Amino acid sequence: MTGEATFPGGVFSERIDDGRAGAEIELSVAGVRARTPDGAEFLLPYAECRLEIGGASGRMIFCRNRDRSLTIFCEERTFADALSRASGGLLSESLGELLAARRRESRRGWWIAASLALGIAALLVAGFWGVRVAARAAVHAMPVALDEKIGELALKSMDLGGPEVHDPLVVGALQAIVDRLAPHAAVSGLEFRLRVVDAPIVNAFALPGGPIVVYTGLIGKAAGAEEVAGVIGHEMAHVTARHGLERIADSVGIVTAVQILVGDTQGLVAFGAELFTLASVNSYSRRQEMAADEEAVRMLHAAGIDPAGLARFFEVLDREQGDLPSAVSWISTHPQNQARIAQIRGRLAALGEPSYQPLAVDWAEVRRRAAGGGQVE
Amino acid sequence: MEAEIRNKPSFANLRLQLARGDRLIAEADAMASMSAAIEIKTRWNGGFAKAVLKRVFGGESLFVNEFSTDSEGELVLTQPFPGDIECIELKGNTLFLQPGAFLACEPGVKLGLGWAGWRSFIAREGLFRLKVSGSGHVWFGAYGGIFTREIGEEYIVDSGHLVAYEPSIRIRIGMAGGVFTSFFSGEGLVTRVGGPGRIYMQSRSFGGLAAWANSHLY
Repeated sequence: MTGEATFPGGVFSERIDDGRAGAEIELSVAGVRARTPDGAEFLLPYAECRLEIGGASGRMIFCRNRDRSLTIFCEERTFADALSRASGGLLSESLGELLAARRRESRRGWWIAASLALGIAALLVAGFWGVRVAARAAVHAMPVALDEKIGELALKSMDLGGPEVHDPLVVGALQAIVDRLAPHAAVSGLEFRLRVVDAPIVNAFALPGGPIVVYTGLIGKAAGAEEVAGVIGHEMAHVTARHGLERIADSVGIVTAVQILVGDTQGLVAFGAELFTLASVNSYSRRQEMAADEEAVRMLHAAGIDPAGLARFFEVLDREQGDLPSAVSWISTHPQNQARIAQIRGRLAALGEPSYQPLAVDWAEVRRRAAGGGQVE
Repeated sequence: MEAEIRNKPSFANLRLQLARGDRLIAEADAMASMSAAIEIKTRWNGGFAKAVLKRVFGGESLFVNEFSTDSEGELVLTQPFPGDIECIELKGNTLFLQPGAFLACEPGVKLGLGWAGWRSFIAREGLFRLKVSGSGHVWFGAYGGIFTREIGEEYIVDSGHLVAYEPSIRIRIGMAGGVFTSFFSGEGLVTRVGGPGRIYMQSRSFGGLAAWANSHLY
């Protein structure tokens, strides 16, 4: 009497040449029967069957006799069920245990693989951010000559959007403000060179290392010299706090970040010059803007200039922003005006009521000359 | 068909004497010399799609050559790297070959591609392996000498030394020892094999050669 089905498999036995052969496996009533292509037949009664599971796929079932001189094996998925049925339940318990152990091991393998994958991913992410954060911190340890180089290169290749104003009255008035603030800068040795550009945009910016550009459009919007002093102080604060370099470090790829860490600044300079030439030079983070406001108030106060000018200028621009949002680029790139005005006012209150010397500037004349394109009459 | 493996083990090559009607399938570019009476036909290594899979994942050629003759003649096959060649006879059983090991087989042997798994990939043994089954002789080569072992209990093989194994062999990837040993013994990850079944190993590894050559480059 033959069993219900045959399965492809194999047999290990010393009775065959080379000890192994492929075989057709039949689950007969008498036991597991294997027939090799050469016609050799092997029978392993169910009662003598010791089961093992394994193989390269992990699901090969081995039926072995007590002294392991005969092994019949099969990898078919349906073999375990068929064997359990054919043996009349004799091997069911043993098979169940083996399959359960295999499932446990497989689950464990997946857990280990998943944990490893997660661990590697976490390490990669941590390494990536770690390098960026470290690069950001490292730029503060670099000489300011680097800022100057970047600023100089960027300024050279930038389109300022209008002709430079050379009127000594306009440029002199603003340079006088810069000169009063410069001794109180947090970083000494920087040269703050001011340029006035004739264009109807309400903007001012500073590049790393000290170049400051103020547009005649901004001069026209300022009611007094203290307001422009506030703006200049704010821009100088970006320079001394080295926000430009921080921004570069934030934007560089991982390769440049690693270069920064090992002290190779070539990539940093090239990338920085390009970034400041192409991108909006005012797009600092909110944290950097608030820090620059705070530092501006400190510098203005130390220089004896009323820092309230900065808050007033914000208020003026804030009111006008609704009418002409695109023209007021200095403030449109400076978010959260109300919060910043509140912060500046808060700092001022903390300073008490000191007496400030008004700036000795004929502001109405500066505005008039600036509005006329700053041409020397 | 008479076959003889000559110049063992370092520069082994396979010399076959083909009689009328004999056919042989061999890896592309394996032929070193042959009689003029032998015909060579090139075909996809198991159809286009399978050939591409075997090329990409199995380290085998896109094409295989089929040699036959109407009279009789000699054929010499060789492998690109120095090392031994082994012959096995399949009798309905199956053998897994590591990528690049296959050299030649008789027409009754089926060449397939089997999934080796991520463990094998981690052990740098490849995601796939070549599966030879059916009946007939198979010749495969290795870098260095080939030695074989019947596996009962667990046995450890350094990665890169396993050339061929039977499907009944269980493969696990593990560290050579503790974390320190694994990193500094130079053994790193090892392959733990369990029986029953037979494995074929090579006495040199390509990774070892590459590392040795690399250390002499600078």
